[in-house]
Amino acid sequence: MSATDIVLQDVRKVYHKDRLEIPVLEGLSLRVDAGDFVALMGPSGSGKSTLLHLIGGLDRPTSGQVRVGQAELHRMSERQLTAWRSRHVGFIFQMYHLVPVLTAAQNVELPLLLFRMPARQRRQRVQTALDVVGLGDRMDHRPNQLSGGQEQRVAIARAIVTDPDVILADEPTGDLDAATSAEILDLLRLLNGEFGKTIVMVTHDPRAAARARRTLHLDKGVLHREELHRAAAATGAGA
Amino acid sequence: MTVTYVLMQNLRRNPLRSGLTCLAFALPMAVFVAALSFVVALREMAEANERQLRLAVHHKTSIINLLPAGMRRRIEALDPQRSRLTAVCGMRWFGGRVPGTPNTLTSLAADADTFPAVYAEVGLTPAEVEAWQRDRRAAVAGRGPAEQHGWQVGGRAVLESTVPPYLSLEFTIVRILDDPQRANVFYFRRDYMDEALREAGWDADAVNIFWVKCVSAEALRSLQRDIDALFADTPDQTKSEDENAFIANFTQAAGDIPGLMKAMALVVVFIIALVAGNTMMMSFRERTGELAVFKAIGFQSWRVFAIVLGESMLLALVGSLLGIVPAAAVLALAPARGLNMGPINALEVSPAAVAGSLAIALAVGAAAGLWPAIRGLRLRTVDALRTPG
Repeated sequence: MSATDIVLQDVRKVYHKDRLEIPVLEGLSLRVDAGDFVALMGPSGSGKSTLLHLIGGLDRPTSGQVRVGQAELHRMSERQLTAWRSRHVGFIFQMYHLVPVLTAAQNVELPLLLFRMPARQRRQRVQTALDVVGLGDRMDHRPNQLSGGQEQRVAIARAIVTDPDVILADEPTGDLDAATSAEILDLLRLLNGEFGKTIVMVTHDPRAAARARRTLHLDKGVLHREELHRAAAATGAGA
Repeated sequence: MTVTYVLMQNLRRNPLRSGLTCLAFALPMAVFVAALSFVVALREMAEANERQLRLAVHHKTSIINLLPAGMRRRIEALDPQRSRLTAVCGMRWFGGRVPGTPNTLTSLAADADTFPAVYAEVGLTPAEVEAWQRDRRAAVAGRGPAEQHGWQVGGRAVLESTVPPYLSLEFTIVRILDDPQRANVFYFRRDYMDEALREAGWDADAVNIFWVKCVSAEALRSLQRDIDALFADTPDQTKSEDENAFIANFTQAAGDIPGLMKAMALVVVFIIALVAGNTMMMSFRERTGELAVFKAIGFQSWRVFAIVLGESMLLALVGSLLGIVPAAAVLALAPARGLNMGPINALEVSPAAVAGSLAIALAVGAAAGLWPAIRGLRLRTVDALRTPG
C-alpha cells in the first residue's frame, strides 16, 4: 500500500435523529490509489459527502475501517484526527468559507498558524500557493474584492499551502458559472497531474466529473457503478 | 500573522456592531471606574485616618451644636502626663467660598497652637509653622482652589462664609497642600475667626469639634470613654468617636454609598453581559461555517473555543479602555473642581480602580463569550458544513 492510498473496508455509517436510525453508508468498500483523481456522484442523500467526510477524518464510521496511507482513521480520537487533517488533507468547499476580514494571503496562511515555521518560510509558502492558483498578484485583496472563481482559487491555495497528500473537494464548482468551473477543474487537474495530489471530489455535475480519472456513482449508501474517463486518463493528469 | 491578529481583524467584521458593543462597555465602565475610585478613595482615607489615631469629640446631639472652646482644657486635664494624648485641637466650621463662586470649600478654623501637632500628616515645615503662628491671617489651602484661583504661598485669599453672620475674611496663604485627599480644604486660625465674630456681635470661643490626637489605639478607646463620661452630666454632653466613624456619619447621611456603588456595579455588569453576550452569539451564528472550516483545516476544538472567547474578551477590553481612559483623564485634569462628595475632597482614578475595572470588564467579556465559545468547542464540523448529498 502506497503512502497515501485510501482504503475503506465494509464501512457503515448510521446517523441518529431522535430515536430514528438513518443509515447513510451500507458496508461500503473502496480503494483510491495515491495520485488518483476520483469524482463521487449520486443523488442527494446517497452518502457522497459522508464518504468524503470519512476519508477526510471529519467523521468516524459506525463500523468498518478507513485507512489513508498508514493512518487508521477509524481508530483515532477527535484530537488525533484534527492533528492528522492539518498535515495530510486539504479541503475545498462549495461556499469557499474565506475569512472576510483577512486578505487572500492571510486566508491562505491560516493553516500554517498551526505549524512552527519561520514567518519568512510561511510567506514563501503562501506566495507559492497563490502563484499555483494564478493569484500571485491578488495577495492583498480581501474576499469581497475578488470574484467567485477567484475566491475558490484562494480556498484551493489554502487547501494546498500545507502540501497535503490528499485534497478533498465538496462541490467545488457548485456555486460557479460554466467558464469559471472549467478553470477550477483545470486547476484541480493540474494539482493532480503536476503535483501528484490524490483528489476526491463530490459533484452533481457530470461535466465536472468527466474531468476526473474515474467517477464512482453512489446510491443509497452503496457503490452503484464505476465509470472510467478515457479522455482524462489518456491525457494523463495534466491540465 | 498570528491568531491575535485574526481576533483583532474580526472586530472589524461588522464595524457598526463592534462599535456599538464597545460603547456599551465604554459608557458604563467610565461611570464604573469613577464609582470604584470613590470606593477606593473612601477605603484609602479610612486606612489613613486609622493611622492618624485621632478622636473626634462633638456635641452628642449634633455636630452643628457648638461646644465651649474651654472644654479643651478639661479634656487635656484628663491626661496631664501626656501618656495617652498628644494634643487637642478645636475646630469650627466656616463654610467659606471664594466670592462669586458657587462651591463651598471645606474651610475650618483651627486652634493655632495645636493644629500643626494634631494634623502632623499635613507636614508643615518649621518655617511654615512659624508663619502660621506669627500671622493671625495665616491659612493652609488645598491644591484645587489654589490652582483655580491663582493662590500662591505668601499671597492673599478672600473667603466669604455661607453661614451667619456671613463673615468675609482675608487670609495669607502659608502652605498649599498637594495631598489629593485635602485638595479642597482650607484651614485657618480660629482666633482670627473669633475676633471677626466678636466684631459682628456674635458668640465666639466655641467649636464644632475637638480633635484629640492619641498615642495609640488603646489610648484612643480609653479617652473615648473618659471624655464622654467627663461631660455626661453637663449641658454639653459629648459623643466621641474615631475619625472613620465620624466620617461615616456624613457618608451614611447620603445613604450607604459603598453599598449603593456595589449594587450599581452589579446592575451595570449584568446589563453589559447581556449586550455583549447577544453580540457574541450573533457573531458566532454568522460564522458557524467559517469556524467549522477552522476545525476542518486542523484547529483543535480548544483553539476554536479560545478564538471565540478571546474575541469577546478583546471586545470588552477595547470597549472598557475607551471608557476608562477618558474618565481617568477628566478626573485627573479636574481634581476637586466642582466635586462635592462629602468626606472625599478629591477623586483620582487610582491604579487599583483601573485594574479592578479592567478585571471586571474582562470577566464580563469572558462570561459573554463563554456560551458561544462552548458552542464552538462542541461544534461538529460535519454538521456545520453539511450540504445535501
